[in-house]
Amino acid sequence: MRSEQTTEELTGVKGVDIEAALDPVEADGVYRDSRQCAALALNSGSTSLLLSPPTPRPKKG
Amino acid sequence: MEQSGTSTRLQAAVQDLASGVVSALRGGGHPHVVPPGADGEAGDLALAAVRVLGADALLPGVLLGTPPDPAEVAVFRKAVEAYPPRADAAPTVRWSHWGMARVLRRLDPSFLPGPSGEPDTGWLDGAGWQYLTHQLAVLAPLALPAEECAVGALAARRPVDVARGFVRAVRRRDWRQAAGAGRWLTLLPGVPDTVGLEAGLDFVELMGGQDPLVALQVQAARTAGTGATV
Repeated sequence: MRSEQTTEELTGVKGVDIEAALDPVEADGVYRDSRQCAALALNSGSTSLLLSPPTPRPKKG
Repeated sequence: MEQSGTSTRLQAAVQDLASGVVSALRGGGHPHVVPPGADGEAGDLALAAVRVLGADALLPGVLLGTPPDPAEVAVFRKAVEAYPPRADAAPTVRWSHWGMARVLRRLDPSFLPGPSGEPDTGWLDGAGWQYLTHQLAVLAPLALPAEECAVGALAARRPVDVARGFVRAVRRRDWRQAAGAGRWLTLLPGVPDTVGLEAGLDFVELMGGQDPLVALQVQAARTAGTGATV
């Protein structure tokens, strides 16, 4: 389709860019330890969501 | 991961658009979020951004019940028509497009797309709670009060799993996923009180609210939670 080609030529935005944005992979997680969570929860006022200990993670190596 | 210049420009345009939506939802005097009548490269980039933001591009009108701006609806329609999902597109791409068409059908009676049936939800059959939550967060624009669809029905059958996913996302500091999951949780029945949803959303906004896509989902959750409906 000519109009589609023109759009892509002008913007460089291809359908594949849009589809990638609409089907993202899950971002890598960055866990905080319990002390950091507690401090953040205190800083946020009444939040008490993150006070439980972090989920165990497999050890490397 | 390194991103192309195109991807970066598109993401920036999406974030600009999301900022406008947030401002409008907050009543910040910016009721028109879709740039009407933009031409050339800027207009085409904006069109792509509308397609990526999906149905949320017109969220203020949908949630607050304000009359749609015909020029905005025209841009929205153009995005729907310019970027249909490919036959082999991912389910989230097809559902995003379906969600836009659903909004458009209500706002623009002249819009008569082809098949209006919903895409299937087979890819979520038996999905683990982590994957389910991630996919629901991507499809957060479908989370609208008084609007039903198969994805919403599936989410309603698994409130505890979505709640677990919400907490996991918070603890992973994946603010976009947490905000999207939180938006779904405000609409789902049977969410455990122990999840601390309201405080959790406050926390997500505090930590990730500088990202307009996070702020949009949190604001959408709050607006929907106040009972604002179409």
